Amino acid sequence: MSVIELDDVVKRYESGAQTVTALKGVDFHADRGEMVTIIGPSGSGKSTMLNMIGLLDTPTEGTVHLDGRNVTEFTEDELTEERRTTLGFVFQDFHLLPMLSAVENVELPSVWDTSVDRHDRAIDLLKRVGLGDRLDHTPDELSGGQQQRVAIARSLINGPDVLLMDEPTGNLDQDTGRTILEEVTRLKDEENIAVVAVTHDDQMLDYTDRTVRIVDGVIQS
Amino acid sequence: MSVADALWRFPSAMMAWRNLGRNRMRTALAALGIVIGVVAISSLGMAGVALQQQATSNLGSLTNQVSVSAGQDSDYDGVTEEQVEEIRSIITDAEVVPQKSNSTTVSSRGKEAYVSVTGVTNAAALYDVSSGEAPERLQTGALISNSTAQELGLELGDPVEYDGHLYRITGLIDSSSGFGPGGGRGELVIPISGLADQKYYDSVTIIAADGDAASVIANTLDEHFNTDGRDEEEVLRVSSYASVQENIGSFLNTLQLALLGIGGISLVVASVAILNVMLMSTVERRGEIGVLRAVGIRRGEVLRMILTEATFLGTLGGLVGAGCSLVVGAVMFNVVAGDPAGVLQWASARYLLYGFAFAVFASVLSGIYPAWKAANDSPVEALRG
Repeated sequence: MSVIELDDVVKRYESGAQTVTALKGVDFHADRGEMVTIIGPSGSGKSTMLNMIGLLDTPTEGTVHLDGRNVTEFTEDELTEERRTTLGFVFQDFHLLPMLSAVENVELPSVWDTSVDRHDRAIDLLKRVGLGDRLDHTPDELSGGQQQRVAIARSLINGPDVLLMDEPTGNLDQDTGRTILEEVTRLKDEENIAVVAVTHDDQMLDYTDRTVRIVDGVIQS
Repeated sequence: MSVADALWRFPSAMMAWRNLGRNRMRTALAALGIVIGVVAISSLGMAGVALQQQATSNLGSLTNQVSVSAGQDSDYDGVTEEQVEEIRSIITDAEVVPQKSNSTTVSSRGKEAYVSVTGVTNAAALYDVSSGEAPERLQTGALISNSTAQELGLELGDPVEYDGHLYRITGLIDSSSGFGPGGGRGELVIPISGLADQKYYDSVTIIAADGDAASVIANTLDEHFNTDGRDEEEVLRVSSYASVQENIGSFLNTLQLALLGIGGISLVVASVAILNVMLMSTVERRGEIGVLRAVGIRRGEVLRMILTEATFLGTLGGLVGAGCSLVVGAVMFNVVAGDPAGVLQWASARYLLYGFAFAVFASVLSGIYPAWKAANDSPVEALRG
């Protein structure tokens, strides 16, 4: 069964007097252990689609299922709870907090949850992405590739079912990007999670299991 | 477990603390605004207290006194022995000091001075002496004003003559104490027996514990002596200075409120500065807060984090401000009351607490809007920065 599923999703934005339809009836699904890459030209709706999958935005029409549960009508607080427990995010420009060390950044999503102590898991994840000797470094003491690895460790801290990546290699050089993608592929298999990525980067296609092309809010293949 | 690990248990506090540390200059300037506000409010409050204490201590020797003399409806030309006994039977918890008075010219070494003469037994209750002593039972000696003594070249032990009797000077009255009866004129105090030819007492002074007690005593006496059935008559004229103190007290209270108001304005200005700083810093960190929301940090947690930042700013500014105010207050008490330790008594020290509490309160208040705004921003919008 698919861990995340979009069913005939339509998203319309009111922009002044105009109505912009970003997604025009999109069907999508991703399974555990699978990496799906969404590609398409600028303004094609791929970011909107990723926002739907990441429960950051809600569809105007259609339904979203996460782990078989219909989350379309969830309130903002319920969606937050789902993001907290089920989803992981990696962004193009890393978005680490500059005043926190690597291990603190990794722990951050779970730190308000006093019922669990994820400190050991944070250290373990950093070791697994090859940063065992950089635990107490702040982001400005790390290279771009290292920062993105911290971000990947952070996205996995809660043991998510789905990992969402928005241009994860966009700010990295070719070699670093390749290493990052290798890390992600390995972690995807180890953790048995679905990875959904939006990218312009052709080398990502070498690691992906399936590619979805979207143009003008419609899935092409 | 290290301190940082322990702090990590309070993520809102930890994050707030780290966020404040990111732009130290801005944090310091925002806190400085609060410091100034707290210093203004606390030191103006304490200035009011210092003034009030100074005024009370200047008036102190008078405000607790009640003065009784013959009223216009009295049958006698003074206060009778019976009336004094009656007063004593009513007023048991205060010193009742009857006096007879006259005036005379004292001469010594060819110089003369016109003085008022007071016959009294309990001189200690009425007079402060700068040298020698004022006995509780004045039976042989005399007290004379310091200024008169200097004028005439008299010293302790010298004789003074009144009505054919010689009295040896046993004490010099401190002229600067209060501005009581016989203020400008010199004063000679002799045993009451020296004025035995006057049948009645000219006045009776009652010395109460404080101004409030004096008021009560004055009212009691007035009711007792001057109310005969339905008729109001004035057998004894009863007057106290308590009302003077009340008036001065209420004026000082008004003054203090005005001072606090001025101090309050500066704290309001400071909290607007905090509002601005918090708003700026949340706008700057919009993307960051978007990430927090995206990774599942709840709205309430973001709200708490930013409110904690504001609270820290207020607490920091409040503490430093209270410290500065303590120094300012000590200087002020030293100048006004001559005792820097006066600042530590609750009456004035509480303004440190008020200033601090107001600072924290104002800061939290100014943090609410930025915190609410940041917490309720849509994550998608916020992530765009």
